Amino acid sequence: MSGTDGEKLTLRADHVAGAAFVAFGAVIIALSGDLPVGALSMPGAGFLPRIVAVLTIVFGLALILRASAESPPFAELDWADGKHALTVTAITGGGILLYERLGFIVTMLLTLMALLTIVERRNPLRAAVFCVLIVGVTYASFVYGLKTPLPEFGY
Amino acid sequence: MDRRTFVIGTAACVAAAPAIAQTPFPSHAVTILVAFPPGGANDILTRPIAAALEPILKQPVVVETKAGAGGQIGAQVAATAKPDGYTLLSHNNGISGYAEVDKLFGRQPKTTRADFIPLARLIADPVLLLVNDQQPYKTLKDFIDDAKKRPEAIVYRSGGLYGATHLPMAILEKATGIPKLRHLPTNGGGPAITALLGNNAQASTQAISASLPHIKSGKLRALAAFGATRSKVLPDVPTLKELGFDAEYYLWVGLFAPKGTPADIIATLSVALDKAALSEQFKSVVNSLGQEYSYQNAKDFAAFWAADAKRSDEAVQLIGKQG
Amino acid sequence: MESTLFSLAHGFAIAFQPDNLWYAFLGCLVGTLVGVLPGIGPLSGISILLPVTFGLNATQAVIMLAGIYYGSQYGGSTTSILMRIPGEASSVMTCIDGNAMAKKGRAGAALCIAAVGSWVAGTFGVIALTVVAPPLATIALKFGPPEYTALLVLGLIFLAYMSSSSLVRTLLMACIGLMLGMIGIDNMTGHFRYSFNLTELGDGIGIVPVAVGLFGLGEILSTPSHKVIGEVIAPKFRELWPSRKEWNESYWPIGRGTLLGFIIGIIPGSAHIISSFLSYALERRISKHPEEFGRGAVAGVAGPESANNSASTGAFVPMLALGIPTGPIPAVLMGALMVHGIAPGPQLVTEHPDVFWGFVASMYVGNLMLLALNLPLVGLFVTVLRIPYAYLYPLIIMFCVIGVYEVNHSIVDVWIMLIMGVLGYALRKFSFDPAPLVLGLVIAPIFEQSLRQSLIMSNGNYFIFFNRPISAGLLIVCIVLLGMSALTFILKRKDWRDKLAAAEAGEPIA
Repeated sequence: MSGTDGEKLTLRADHVAGAAFVAFGAVIIALSGDLPVGALSMPGAGFLPRIVAVLTIVFGLALILRASAESPPFAELDWADGKHALTVTAITGGGILLYERLGFIVTMLLTLMALLTIVERRNPLRAAVFCVLIVGVTYASFVYGLKTPLPEFGY
Repeated sequence: MDRRTFVIGTAACVAAAPAIAQTPFPSHAVTILVAFPPGGANDILTRPIAAALEPILKQPVVVETKAGAGGQIGAQVAATAKPDGYTLLSHNNGISGYAEVDKLFGRQPKTTRADFIPLARLIADPVLLLVNDQQPYKTLKDFIDDAKKRPEAIVYRSGGLYGATHLPMAILEKATGIPKLRHLPTNGGGPAITALLGNNAQASTQAISASLPHIKSGKLRALAAFGATRSKVLPDVPTLKELGFDAEYYLWVGLFAPKGTPADIIATLSVALDKAALSEQFKSVVNSLGQEYSYQNAKDFAAFWAADAKRSDEAVQLIGKQG
Repeated sequence: MESTLFSLAHGFAIAFQPDNLWYAFLGCLVGTLVGVLPGIGPLSGISILLPVTFGLNATQAVIMLAGIYYGSQYGGSTTSILMRIPGEASSVMTCIDGNAMAKKGRAGAALCIAAVGSWVAGTFGVIALTVVAPPLATIALKFGPPEYTALLVLGLIFLAYMSSSSLVRTLLMACIGLMLGMIGIDNMTGHFRYSFNLTELGDGIGIVPVAVGLFGLGEILSTPSHKVIGEVIAPKFRELWPSRKEWNESYWPIGRGTLLGFIIGIIPGSAHIISSFLSYALERRISKHPEEFGRGAVAGVAGPESANNSASTGAFVPMLALGIPTGPIPAVLMGALMVHGIAPGPQLVTEHPDVFWGFVASMYVGNLMLLALNLPLVGLFVTVLRIPYAYLYPLIIMFCVIGVYEVNHSIVDVWIMLIMGVLGYALRKFSFDPAPLVLGLVIAPIFEQSLRQSLIMSNGNYFIFFNRPISAGLLIVCIVLLGMSALTFILKRKDWRDKLAAAEAGEPIA
């Protein structure tokens, strides 16, 4: 390890990532509760999951140990795309929530419009033309071209 | 007017009669959910019946696959669907056993048999006890004697734990008094037959339709059949009943409506199904599967299902919890 | 042999009948469409069109359905390369370098190489099918649980070559994948594992939602449109074809991928999806420039694409020769044959020579048709990249949702995709590579089941893996590979991975 004292105190990206893996492994072990472990000669339902969870914890710890040599400080990570990621995730999530209720056409028109006008701030009129065109062509090619039903309104 | 048109016409009249007060059923497309993947018996048999239903109901009949979790997903979707006759379910033996397995594991059952109204049985395919050609057994007696002599030595494959090819072996074990054989669960009937052919298992219980080509080629040998009578395609294979063992089991495919579907709609659908089952289309598919025509109407099927469910529950209890 | 040639000639006579030619073309066309449209994979494509074929005779039906099958395998690479959406598990590896090539303006070249690789693999597969099907199929039957276990151990060892990140990072990703793969009903004991009372998780987490989320959506989340403005990646028309250098780099990977894929393809069971992963790892292992992988290496497209196509042809061997479905798609094809009163099985060749040889011959014809269909379309497909990014990515999101939903008609799958998208974004931030995660997910259920089945077969004795010739052979390969890596490590101290890491960190190589 080449880090000086000052560097050792910095929180590095791999410290955070490693801790997340350790926590994940621990959660899996906790969730394994009543799954039988069995024996080495006859592994039960909880045998391999526990082994993999332990390995995850071990590798997570290894990541933490090597963090100061291998990864940039956590504070230096660039989160400039965070806002984009968050809004796109939220809009897509909304779309998924409505997909089976409002059907393909309505949901996708709303989702595409939201992405184009809220996230991309495009001209609403052009965006609307684009959305109607795309949704229409897709719907037609799936439903009539391939005879694959897409979710319908009130389905 | 030939007979066929007459039949269809009558069916349409009967179909329309009870519901004249409200909007007549069906007023739009009927969907049959198939709980198993395409290519399986459920899919192959449900499609021709749906096609034959269309002219009778005078509405489109859509077949939709809702496969997954050994048929449980389809059952669950159908159980929670609006009980208006527009959503039906095509399922098999599996539907009998879920609740009992859940009970075994102390889980709250997602669906029980009470959630469904039986409409029709499309087919009942007797199960065979099969061994591969590298085994010495020529008769069921050879098999039983060896199983008693060398407990835990014979390995059998099934298409899945507590599944329709696992339960008959448990029934056989009980009826013949042989000690438990070693069980290798696989996912699906196809892989189980593959394993048997490759001698990665010595025995299996499989339906006639799935194993017939391999029996004909001599790679697999059927020692006994689980049917009530001998099968026409395999007249040399004795039934377990003939041999003096009380064991019976079929792989069947049936249609169901969700609980709470109005009685008049059930009546309309049963009449329509009885007619559809007589169609050439359906009969030829049954034939090409190497099957005998074994359609049952709603009443007979209800009685059959009750008996089958009892067998299935007992078998699940016999197997108990593994590992 | 002579009788084979004679039968094949008879088969060609059947395949060249105008009707059959037309159905082969129709199948290829629909298959290409199905493959290119994200969302409908080969399985749903075939299942949907199965009832259409009830009206045809058996030969026509199987010719058309098979056309859809391999047509969609061809088309599947298109969305992977252009949009980084893997349509199915076998296209995941194509995503990585194929999309990287597209970003360098070589989308056309990547598509061409994928098409030619698929053609070579498909044609080789059919030749092998014609000549050696019956004996091969009998050997393939010997593949029981112990052999599977050994094969997957080999797969896990190859993991180390999958990714350019450090070994700890690769292993962590694989572990997460393995854990996700263990969700659902335990086949051996019936326990529900980590499924939070959701029946939809009973069969475990699907590969498509995870792959689409991690690769397709994850990429979109971490790429705001202001980053890509002014960046033109759509190539000029004359740049569509691969350069001489690119061709030279793809010959051997295509050859190796074809052979590897075919061998894995004939094994009954679901192992053939690992063929493209193994091919990728193999190419990287033997490449002189492993650092190019992940940044648009031609071999990273040519190898896996060929492997996945010849595996899908190889999957027909046990189906036709023994009547055993090796996966869900051959199962549907067998269902179609059964509807026509033909039981696939050992007697198929003797009882229905028209169906068998007509089908085999139509596969030669179909492969050629697909090449002729796909190469001219490359130019059309590449124009997709001319759509401005701000309009393109909402479109990709829409296709991700349709695609994932249509596989099982399950909204839970779509939620999994979104969660995986967010995870993919986070992994990218912390410089983790998701490819090993997908391989872990693919391997986990098969590995666990075959390990436990082997132990039931042997009553808990681990010697079963060394008693049987095939599994012992595979395990010896594993040990040799591990030994070789250990040796390089001791001799050189540093392998390419360290050099790469050092180069990335901008430090001089010590």
